[in-house]
Amino acid sequence: MSLLSWELEAEAPVGRGMTARRFRLSNGLGLIAAVDKRAPIVALQTWFRVGSRHERPGATGMAHLFEHLMFGQTESLPPGEFDRLVERTGGESNAATWVDWTYYKLSLPARDLALGIKLEAERMQHLVLEHDPVESERDVVTNERRERVEDDVDGWLDEQLMAHAFTEHPYRWPTIGWMEDIRALALPDIRAFYRTWYAPNNATIVCVGDFDETELRELISQYYGHIPAAPTPTIAKQVEPEQNRERIVRAPKPIATDRLLVGYKAPGQDDPDWAALEIVSTLLAGCPSARLYRKLVIEQEAASSVDAQLTPFRDPSLLRLAITTARGHSADEVIASVDRELAALIENPPQAAEVEKAKALAETDFWSALADVDGKAEALGHYETALGDFRRLTSLAERLTAVTTADVAHAVRKFLVPTARTIVIAEPEAETAESDDDDGDD
Amino acid sequence: MKVIVEPSPDTPLVWFDIAIHGGASADPLGVEGLHRHAALLARRGAGTRKRAELDETLDSLGAALDVSVSRDSIGLSGVALSRHLDAVIDLAADILAAPRFDEDEHARLLRETPQVLDEIRDDDSALATRWFDWLCCPGHPYGRTSLGTEASLAQIGVLQRDGARALWKREVVPENMIIGLAGDVDEANAARLVQRLIERLPPGTATPLATNLSTPAPGRRVILVDKSDRTQAQLRIGHLATRYGQPDTAALAIAEAIFGGMFSSRLMQEIRVKRGWSYGAGCALRRSRLPHWFEIWTAAAIDVAGSAVALTLELYAEYADKGPTDDEVDFARSYLIGAMPFHVATARQRMQLAVRDALFELPAGYTARLPEALGQLTAAEVRAACARQFHPDNTVTVAVTTAEQARRGLEAANAGPITIVRHDEY
Repeated sequence: MSLLSWELEAEAPVGRGMTARRFRLSNGLGLIAAVDKRAPIVALQTWFRVGSRHERPGATGMAHLFEHLMFGQTESLPPGEFDRLVERTGGESNAATWVDWTYYKLSLPARDLALGIKLEAERMQHLVLEHDPVESERDVVTNERRERVEDDVDGWLDEQLMAHAFTEHPYRWPTIGWMEDIRALALPDIRAFYRTWYAPNNATIVCVGDFDETELRELISQYYGHIPAAPTPTIAKQVEPEQNRERIVRAPKPIATDRLLVGYKAPGQDDPDWAALEIVSTLLAGCPSARLYRKLVIEQEAASSVDAQLTPFRDPSLLRLAITTARGHSADEVIASVDRELAALIENPPQAAEVEKAKALAETDFWSALADVDGKAEALGHYETALGDFRRLTSLAERLTAVTTADVAHAVRKFLVPTARTIVIAEPEAETAESDDDDGDD
Repeated sequence: MKVIVEPSPDTPLVWFDIAIHGGASADPLGVEGLHRHAALLARRGAGTRKRAELDETLDSLGAALDVSVSRDSIGLSGVALSRHLDAVIDLAADILAAPRFDEDEHARLLRETPQVLDEIRDDDSALATRWFDWLCCPGHPYGRTSLGTEASLAQIGVLQRDGARALWKREVVPENMIIGLAGDVDEANAARLVQRLIERLPPGTATPLATNLSTPAPGRRVILVDKSDRTQAQLRIGHLATRYGQPDTAALAIAEAIFGGMFSSRLMQEIRVKRGWSYGAGCALRRSRLPHWFEIWTAAAIDVAGSAVALTLELYAEYADKGPTDDEVDFARSYLIGAMPFHVATARQRMQLAVRDALFELPAGYTARLPEALGQLTAAEVRAACARQFHPDNTVTVAVTTAEQARRGLEAANAGPITIVRHDEY
């Protein structure tokens, strides 16, 4: 395969003194390359445009199961050999799955880049999916779920919030999958999922670090050039019906005080309102001087922690408030305070200085995310895979810089609507609640 | 005072870390949590700025300035856009030299800290670590909780603000500090900023650091931390180990990697890959100034918790007795030497590593030079270090789980007598 098969599609600066360039091989494989020679290492990541949103009800957790299976046996690598080859170099391998994507991450000494490319190409096309290794990884995933959801109140809250905030969209099921689905995933379906989604035309390789770009493309041509493209299913646009009534879920848990997640319907990351809502998120609970943090944690002492997150999903998702109530205070009391603060925010929109504060914090966050080669690769991979263009990384930063007080006021009025929110509350089990009341009176 | 500077223009950011010798291991007995209380209080108002104004000023600069308390130090860490660096350093200097220790913040912090205890008790992994730290080697300075207990927090209340104020005056002196800067700052500018950080501090001597170590009790024992409705057991198994920086350090780095420091390690293969009992399993020698723990961790499904403990102890006993094979040593050596560039890839990483070495009173560049020592070790030397430093017959096992379901399995695990405690009693 010659270099002539590559097409340069886009290039843009990423950070100081670094340019990222996107190429495409004739079989559809994308490559984003960014040379950074400040350390003799490379971040080699393979991003697939498949996440939990591409699953179907009854077979949830499939995309995440692959995050495990992909480290197993291939036609030329016996079980465990993938990890041994990587670890012998001093490198590390990992993977992550979320709603819009799955990616496989290799951090390698620069001299071992060719090994990494060879290994990734091998498991993209020659993964062995047999009964015993699948069952072994199924057990591991069920234990991962116990640790992260069944025995973790924050994991449970997160899962329940999405399950109740969405009634139609695939964001309603958890990326790790429902336990009964994980246990029931059938081997023929697992093999079909692999054949469908693990193809070069559904992937982007992101390489950041100390390498020669021409040599990189030669290596990728050598190991991937012969892999045929595969037809990928067309996924119909999934639209979540408008929510016009507040939803509240409660359950007892072995915890000391109420914990709650509040999710307001929010736009997808590429929406024009996303940047303004990101600023709102910071102003509410994204820094020590944020409005809700000051009110609930410092002034009222009604909560011990408040965090806000605008989820960076392709489709409309949620602006989430995560609150742990303080001893002697209840979720209902905290929700009433949140409502009063949001009403005040609508009535008295933030002035320029407050918006500029959030923008300064966003600038620091932007650069912090690009502080090392892994962070740069992850940022490029996310925007390329979730939003279709790695250049969104910088254009979104520019949109944040351009947000005005009017934009913020508009976003608050449009999205922070009680009838379009879902609340999940974990409450102390009866015996624990009584004991906590005693503590609170001390 | 030691100063470490790692210039790099990669981003328009500057990170700084200030480590002040002392930390939780220097808390007075019965007043555990005092260092944390003093540090958090110092961050809640300094110079002319009360807490709200200090927070507002820092946020408006896009900066972060956080305090932390480890076993060995108080830390003041910041990140700033380089165009605002002078202003942020001045705020950090205020915190060091002129903390207000306001009464209202003192009282508020005393009300808040028990709720951090609640958060830990709600988190099984954090709870297992808290209990293990306390009971691994009773009386050891690292057994003192940095957060405190309900009883020790009451003592901090009795001391009033004077306790925090006296600690700060005694320990926050240049001779007791290590200052690191990394990022978009050159050497000359860094020297100027360091001077601004310390110019208002009083002179003083370095704090005498804890050296008295308790001796662990012989034998095995189990602490079963009872919590309702668990589907798993969060497990910690270990004992007091040697100090990071001792002659066996390089050999133990290899031994640690083989037993539980890689995905290919024995623990991960036996517990996760072969049996599917847990999402993960590993081990670590805690790196600190004094001898600290050797700790094995995993989280097994509740029905196999006892089997997981039994297997782990069998594997550990075999490993301590026979040590690794020649091939395992070669593999781990290759892994550790190859991994070093990832630990020193950025200016911030290099600065933080150097600050840590200085805090542990190690020669400059000690950790970055470990690969040289790794390259010279023989497999026989690693096996000898395992025999010297690993003590499988003297382990403490902490299991956070539901006692009614897990007890029988743990009794059969040959892990020692079981003490059952309520999850919220410490």
